[in-house]
Amino acid sequence: MPINLEKFKAAYEKWVEESLPDFRAGKMEDVIKKYPFVVSEDVPWTVFRGHPSEKTIALVTSGGLYLKDSQPAFDAESIHGDPSFREIPRTVRPEDLGISHPHYDHSLAEQDVNTIFPIQPFIALEKEGIVGKIADTHYSFSYVNDVVTLLTESVPAVIARMRSEGVDTLFLVPV
Amino acid sequence: MGNMADRMGHIRPPRALLVKFPRGSMLGEPGNAKRQRRIIMDALEALSTMTEPGTIKELTYRWKKP
Repeated sequence: MPINLEKFKAAYEKWVEESLPDFRAGKMEDVIKKYPFVVSEDVPWTVFRGHPSEKTIALVTSGGLYLKDSQPAFDAESIHGDPSFREIPRTVRPEDLGISHPHYDHSLAEQDVNTIFPIQPFIALEKEGIVGKIADTHYSFSYVNDVVTLLTESVPAVIARMRSEGVDTLFLVPV
Repeated sequence: MGNMADRMGHIRPPRALLVKFPRGSMLGEPGNAKRQRRIIMDALEALSTMTEPGTIKELTYRWKKP
């Protein structure tokens, strides 16, 4: 793995301990300044072969989207953030989506969710044959500090689900 | 894609587009379907044109005020 999780874990635990008072006081600038950002030691790489019109594409956003009627909102209170994910079907309507992410202004995405989760333009490109297939399932994360749980639990689960749907190309929209 | 060059430097994605849009609206102004499509087409093009791992291309699109 190009990320040293053991090294991160030690720094992260120290950060949680030291930053909790500032986090509770809402001093986010100080909290983020001290956060031990994971730096990848390598660039993950797969040579792209073929054409987009032959690929199955999934979207991943970290905008904190969830299905209002059937999924819980993300935890917006914990210093760890929320390392879980929500599956969003391709058939979703904008009005089905809620946003739970404590650290950005939702007003633009609330006007047009395609600004952080561009499912509608991708489906239009599928209809035109410019891309092959838009997967049945897409994924949203939210604000996450706990990279250990994210990488050891959530990401493997998402990858397994994507593989079961034949996804071979990802479009990532960090928010 | 991303809008923060320093964060992208930490994460080191395989291929990336850097936009000059605010956090919370990464594909441009709400309702600008043409812009959203253009950025996706840029991304699809990058799949085959970015052959060096870690390439980041800066897009020059500017936010259009209403």
